[in-house]
Amino acid sequence: MSRVELLSPEGLRIDGRRPAELRKITSTTAVLSQADGSAYLEHGNTKVLAAVYGPREARHRALVLHDRAIINVEFNVAPFSTGERRRRTKNDKRLLEMASFVKQTFEPVVVTTLYARSQIDIYLQIIQHDGGTLQACINAATMALIDAGIAMTDYVCACTAGWVEREAAIDLNHIEESSDTSEVTVAMLPKSGKITLMQMESRLHVDKLEEVLSLAGEGCKQMHVVMDKTIRDRAEDLAAKMAV
Amino acid sequence: MTSTSAAPSPAFTFSASTFQKLHPAEYFRKFISQGVRPDGRLLTGFRPTTVHYGVISTANGSAMVRVGGTTVVCGVKAEVAEPRLDSPDQGYLVPNVDLSPICSSAFRPGPPSEQAQVTSDAIDRVLKESKVLDLKDLCIEEGKAVWSLWIDVVCVSYDGNIYDAALASVMAALANVRIRKPTYDEGIVKVSGAQELDDDNSFKLNLNRTPLSASFVLFDTSLELLADPNFAEESICEGQISVTVDEEGQICALSKVGGGSSSPSILKECVDRAKERSKDLRALMQQQ
Repeated sequence: MSRVELLSPEGLRIDGRRPAELRKITSTTAVLSQADGSAYLEHGNTKVLAAVYGPREARHRALVLHDRAIINVEFNVAPFSTGERRRRTKNDKRLLEMASFVKQTFEPVVVTTLYARSQIDIYLQIIQHDGGTLQACINAATMALIDAGIAMTDYVCACTAGWVEREAAIDLNHIEESSDTSEVTVAMLPKSGKITLMQMESRLHVDKLEEVLSLAGEGCKQMHVVMDKTIRDRAEDLAAKMAV
Repeated sequence: MTSTSAAPSPAFTFSASTFQKLHPAEYFRKFISQGVRPDGRLLTGFRPTTVHYGVISTANGSAMVRVGGTTVVCGVKAEVAEPRLDSPDQGYLVPNVDLSPICSSAFRPGPPSEQAQVTSDAIDRVLKESKVLDLKDLCIEEGKAVWSLWIDVVCVSYDGNIYDAALASVMAALANVRIRKPTYDEGIVKVSGAQELDDDNSFKLNLNRTPLSASFVLFDTSLELLADPNFAEESICEGQISVTVDEEGQICALSKVGGGSSSPSILKECVDRAKERSKDLRALMQQQ
């Protein structure tokens, strides 16, 4: 048991949230002028920037697929983003693993057959880290892909949930994450309710899994509402500008 | 019979954007000959610049600087380190500039590019050679423990002139730094816990001077000076001149690289304009 009290007797969490409450989400798209599509997302104090380049000519001929596009994901953590400064090399296993999770999440959702022989690059940059990097990356990447105008079958919305002391809680922050809590990251297609990614790396009693999962699912739906609003606002804004 | 003395109409015409792609230099030359640049600036004009402080709460000091389409974020983190044997009372300053592929399609994934390393090194030399910071201020216990300041600049969006933007963000972030006062006790450095930062439990850095730079490119054989080049201008022009000056107008660094030979009068003009620009930029940084 950790020494930090993660859940107060009144049932409030360490940052004052209730168990089923998400952190404040701030999101914008089209933040970068250089990229084909980009998005900036904040989950509380976790800040992520996503940029999409492509579909463009593939860098390595050998990788080209004649019937669909390849998706390449690069994941980068700013050295000042974490509590302790750590230089993460490009070959850090953890970073490669995260990148591969994001890649595998999007491969079935992006309609890659429309962009044969090309490559779509998704670059993710963590600017500030406070737990829930994977969910933030997936959500930011979804918005950046939409901003780039790349065909997808649905949004991909991700959310984490875990078992904090005696209750299931959603959207864990860094303190909750690092103090021996089991955490599940779920990425979902909100329209069909299908799960494209589920990721857990710690022990959790099987009886509690269902409750945690359903809470994560709720979180994904809430994320969808927020992301959809950002995208629609941006589209309306663009439409209004074009009409002038 | 009326004869048309006008030149015969060309067989085909291009739209402006096609012409720009086919003959970027010629397209550019047409603008310059009129005394303006494709983005509407005059030759001497700098792009709109903004500075924001304290954007990263996990860092000891941070700043975000935008110069037109170029955006950089600088975060400073302080860590306790062991001093070098030959300078037991001096801390470390370690600047690093990261030009990751996120900021432009011109950068590829992989080890840091030459440009990133050159920029990091230029900033490193400015900080050390012009003694921006007395490294002895970073001493915790002589010969035992000092602060090491990791100054990381992440370029978020690249549209030319990274050196000016990066140096401005470094200086802004250094001015924003607050470090908790440490206590040294028999080999252990203790830094107090989580209470709010105030003047009693933390200290700010004492900056001796604030060097800021202005960069120019030399266009063509006519040697027109273009201030604050964007990415397209950087790739067309040959020579680049960067002048770094402090608040008293003293030159802290000067570099002229690439082709396009310049003359002393051009250098003089650059220095004069850099003084103007750094004054404006400094006023902008002090507004907040």
